[in-house]
Amino acid sequence: MFKFIKLATKNVFRNRRRTIITGLVLVFGATALILAGGFISFSFRGLSENTIRSQLGHIQVYHDGFFDREEEKPLELGLDSVDALKAKIATTPHVRFSMARVEFMGLLSNGDKSAVFVGRGVEPEPEMTLSGNRTPVDTGAFLGQNPAGSLDAEVVVARGLAKSLKARVGDYLTLMTTTSKGALNAMDVKVVGIYSTGVPEYDERALMVDLRTAQQLLVTRRVSKLVVVLDQTENTRAVTASLAAMLPGTALRRWDELATFYKAVVQLYSAIFAFLGVIIFVIVVLSSSNTMMMSIFERTKEIGTQLAVGTSRLRLMVNFLYEGLMVGVFGGALGLAVAAGLAGLINSSGLRMPPPPGGTQGYPLNVDLVPGVFVGVFLLIVVTTVLSTIMPAVRASRMKIVDALGHV
Amino acid sequence: MQPFIHTQDLVKQYALGSVTVPALRNVTLSMDKGEFATICGPSGSGKTTLLNLLGFIDSPSSGKVYFEGAEIRYNGLSHLHRLRLEKIGFIFQTFNLIPVLSAYENVEYPLLLTKKSARERRTLVEKILREVKLWDWRNHKPNELSGGQRQRVAIARALVNNPGLVLADEPTANIDSATAAEILDLMRTLNEEDRVTFLFSTHDPTVVAYAKRIIRLHDGAIVTEKA
Repeated sequence: MFKFIKLATKNVFRNRRRTIITGLVLVFGATALILAGGFISFSFRGLSENTIRSQLGHIQVYHDGFFDREEEKPLELGLDSVDALKAKIATTPHVRFSMARVEFMGLLSNGDKSAVFVGRGVEPEPEMTLSGNRTPVDTGAFLGQNPAGSLDAEVVVARGLAKSLKARVGDYLTLMTTTSKGALNAMDVKVVGIYSTGVPEYDERALMVDLRTAQQLLVTRRVSKLVVVLDQTENTRAVTASLAAMLPGTALRRWDELATFYKAVVQLYSAIFAFLGVIIFVIVVLSSSNTMMMSIFERTKEIGTQLAVGTSRLRLMVNFLYEGLMVGVFGGALGLAVAAGLAGLINSSGLRMPPPPGGTQGYPLNVDLVPGVFVGVFLLIVVTTVLSTIMPAVRASRMKIVDALGHV
Repeated sequence: MQPFIHTQDLVKQYALGSVTVPALRNVTLSMDKGEFATICGPSGSGKTTLLNLLGFIDSPSSGKVYFEGAEIRYNGLSHLHRLRLEKIGFIFQTFNLIPVLSAYENVEYPLLLTKKSARERRTLVEKILREVKLWDWRNHKPNELSGGQRQRVAIARALVNNPGLVLADEPTANIDSATAAEILDLMRTLNEEDRVTFLFSTHDPTVVAYAKRIIRLHDGAIVTEKA
């Protein structure tokens, strides 16, 4: 076999210019797929971590009726005994910490004008930890970071909402909402910071207050949910299973079940990647089969000679498939090397992508070097090249010997 | 004793559109092992067609061919590759060497199709390349060899599998007369020393003179035979 592979390799480089052109097509195809796959992988990873760090955590714990029934009053389907739940959760391996959130809605007023808000009561310290200790505000400070002794209830307001009410850091606004008993309640809060959610529509409505402030306003000790943060995203499924057994009367949701935007992006990018793969498959098939057809045409007399001296038609066909294999191996390997080099160049260039649709912030352009993508693309290129050689190889093996020998 | 090769009423016709062109007409011929024979005749007389049929690379329209006493079944031709590999050696007018392979590799090529080990292959290739006096040129590619050297490589390739019959289609047509004489001397030596049966076609009278048996073809039929 080795001798025939050696012969195939010699034949591949018989017409160097044509082989180089075919090789360049393969290199281009492999590079495009690897870079696209690496970028998509980076995007998935970045988006998933961003989704986890900025809002969802890894697992969320709800009242077990939360997803089945509609609340008639705020926090009717909230969680009680929060401290006990958190203590249980803390004993589970891979759990870093958990934190409570209260979701509520109402009106925010500056005295002259009111706007609808979507509020969240949070525990500032673990929220900061979740976001990697980055202060999640653009202007001012986050909750709980003001000088000690301040008795004012604090609020951080999303940029669009603050702009709508002409609110600045230090201003006082009034929160109005319905309590858990169904009554109206209001509370003055001091704007300590203005932040951006990254989603323009959400920026028009969002605000955050301390968990206790939210509970005071809603007159309850309940919370909407507990957010569980793990050491590694990969442990999400295992920990969810453990918690489900440990926390009866609750409903658990993984981050990927809640992240509808993430799921939509994954589907879209996967479809784009598959489409790109199909295009490159077609280009490789056309290019390789054309090269092989030309090669066979030029070597017709030689094919006749090989058959005349005793080469079986199967052997001849396999020899041509070896040529396709060698072209695929060389082109694919070179494609991997070029892709790795380009990926390194891109990653060190500091280039940034524009904000995604519906987003307000750009992000660094990075390409992951994913071993699975490298292996997959290499195999795709090799298999495609071999497949595209089949037809020409069959055609060569079926030549009439005397006609082939008489070919000029 | 049965002849080494025997043809019985061999007919070959080609279809050119709606016209049928006869290439061989009822050729009956016998050859014994160790003969050194030539088929001669003008262009279009059927020399190459007869060699193709005897080399099992083409099938007759009718008639029979017996090789070593067994009738050859031509249907499909593909099963005959092993017979060609083991029993027949081909020498072509235009040498037909594989250009990307060295002289050594060209001669070794038929052996790659057998189950011979690398050591056996090397022994056989070296022996035949020394016989045709090309061992020192073994690493040269065909385009680095003269016409005579290329034909000697082709002869070595035809003989390396130790075939019973070597068919040569105008083996000296593309080389000068001095080199042609060398090639014919070499073929005759191999015939005499190794008892290899040679059947070669030509229309050159000086080449015909080398043959021990002359088969003359005209319009696809044997017109005279001279031993």
